Amino acid sequence: MDMPELHTRRFSKVLIANRGEIAMRILRACHELGLSTVAVYSDADRNAPHVRFADEAYHIGPAAARESYLAIEKIIETAHRSGADAIHPGYGFLAENAEFARACYEAGIVFVGPSPRAIEVMGDKLTARSTVSKVGVPVVPGTEPGMSDQDMMAEAPNVGFPLLVKASAGGGGKGMRPVYAIEDLADAIASAKREALAAFGDDTVYLERMITESRHIEIQLLADSYGNAISLGERECSLQRRHQKLIEEAPSVFIDETLRKKMGEVAVAAAEAVGYVNAGTIEFLMDRSKNFYFLEMNTRLQVEHPVTELVTGVDIVQEQLRIARGRRLSLAQEDVTMKGWAIECRVNAEDPYNNYMPSTGMITTSQLPTGPGVRVDTGVFPGFHITPFYDPMISKLICYGNTRAEAVLRMRRALEEYRITGVKTNIPFHQRMMESHRFLSGSFDTEFVENRFSLTDREPPHVLEAAILATLAYHEQSQRAAQIVRAGSRETSQWKWYGRTK
Amino acid sequence: MKYYARVDDQEFIIEIGHENEIMVNDELYKIDFQKMPDSGVTSLIIGNRSLEAVVEDKDGSWQVLIRGDLYDVEVEDERARRLASARGDLQVADGEIVMRSPMPGIVIAVSVRKGQTIHKGDKLIILESMKMENELRAPRDGTVTQVSVEPGVSVEKDQILVVISDEHSP
Repeated sequence: MDMPELHTRRFSKVLIANRGEIAMRILRACHELGLSTVAVYSDADRNAPHVRFADEAYHIGPAAARESYLAIEKIIETAHRSGADAIHPGYGFLAENAEFARACYEAGIVFVGPSPRAIEVMGDKLTARSTVSKVGVPVVPGTEPGMSDQDMMAEAPNVGFPLLVKASAGGGGKGMRPVYAIEDLADAIASAKREALAAFGDDTVYLERMITESRHIEIQLLADSYGNAISLGERECSLQRRHQKLIEEAPSVFIDETLRKKMGEVAVAAAEAVGYVNAGTIEFLMDRSKNFYFLEMNTRLQVEHPVTELVTGVDIVQEQLRIARGRRLSLAQEDVTMKGWAIECRVNAEDPYNNYMPSTGMITTSQLPTGPGVRVDTGVFPGFHITPFYDPMISKLICYGNTRAEAVLRMRRALEEYRITGVKTNIPFHQRMMESHRFLSGSFDTEFVENRFSLTDREPPHVLEAAILATLAYHEQSQRAAQIVRAGSRETSQWKWYGRTK
Repeated sequence: MKYYARVDDQEFIIEIGHENEIMVNDELYKIDFQKMPDSGVTSLIIGNRSLEAVVEDKDGSWQVLIRGDLYDVEVEDERARRLASARGDLQVADGEIVMRSPMPGIVIAVSVRKGQTIHKGDKLIILESMKMENELRAPRDGTVTQVSVEPGVSVEKDQILVVISDEHSP
């Protein structure tokens, strides 16, 4: 079947137009399928795992993404040079860039993803909304496209407060501002536009009613180039801070089999409205009464895809590569089952005790948890520098159990085993969340993390040990200072101290 | 050697004696601590309980991270203690807080001016980094004595942004 501007045919060498943990993920799938791999890297990533693990590696520019991972011409040129006949864009960077998908098509390269047109329609939140509502998919009430700032201000009372200012080209929570009263609207629009311009190069924003106490539930889809589209079930992604997901799980405690089936059908209808091919995700907002509304479609592989993989047994990245090669889906809807429970914690380089301020620096230790039911997808290693050029995610820690309780216990155990030093991480946040009553009972929504969760809400149990450790450290520090000051100190006296602490 | 360690409102009198023994508030503990060579992690065995922690020196006080909980500990030795009480229990710090940039970035907005009285939690600076806007807020009440940046300026990590003095200092 001929898809508009999309090649689906056999290929043997894949260029991964990405970095970090997702580049590793894609490389693994390629290697397992016997495909040759090409990595690209910026100045900051010479020693990154994806560069060392791929069959070939090409340097494409300085650390700034605009001059490397976002440089379409350089990437296409590298594909030609290496003889790569397919490109997997991962997530972020060029994954939802229709111009890039089109450039691949025109260069005769298979783009592992949907057609440029599908990316365009779904990439613009406003056209996505109107396209899917035409096929009966419910959408959140909001403003129509093409409104000036003044028109939006006038329309705001009809949309209803509280509302959200959202970037049309946006994603990942950027270019988004909540507004509770009309007085704050002008500032919020200005601020959202600024952030949107910096992040996406497009400052178009729109207004959308903010559904309070909502859940963010998304459906994973796979579609081949023969018109087959299936749902792989839902993911619960309500635990977010500033619209950035922190913890995801599959399945969701809030969804039963009937609702799952219904949402799956609606999601498939939305994808079919744009002739979608390959992996994609439909994001829904769900209110307390279990009404769900289309939020947006992500026309790419998602960060949190592992939780779906673990409960369905489907290797989503391998399916992506197969679909791109022109194969039919390897399973039908009735073959899809969800077994057990998976939880993913995103480990970020940020300080949960300092307002989650991003933390930069060099990783000195990276000791990964392992054992039954534990998976870590990471792109960092000791000696790697976390810089402000890329986002602060260090890794994804995913735990699987036969039940949700087992998955939680496993996650607690894995979080304790995980050791990262050199930068601050949000592991303490995850540890507290895994003990939170509301999390354990499944009664949370998208406002939970920001409004009703606290790291410091309890009696910390190790005050005595903390006092002892600090004192020992202080003692060691002053002893060492005294030794250095003592004139004619022989080497042996210093080694005596080090011998104690070895 | 005798030390005074303070965590929140709890105080501990700690005496470091012979190897592997310490006294905490007159109770004797057998301890062993080892700093892991490859990381900054300290392994503490106290009695026979085993704990791991990350201990960091932060501007004179200590931050100890144990199983996800962060403890702020102030430690003084006897000499410092004697000096402090001789001064009549005045604030040791000069009452100034220097707000430094936590990472490289660009200043988007400055919400305060020199001489302005501010309260804990007030927005001071909006900094853009890691593709997102980050708000820096006042850690306590005070008066702004210095604003070192303006919108549009690029800053390095630890670069001084704003200086706040204790509202009680002259």
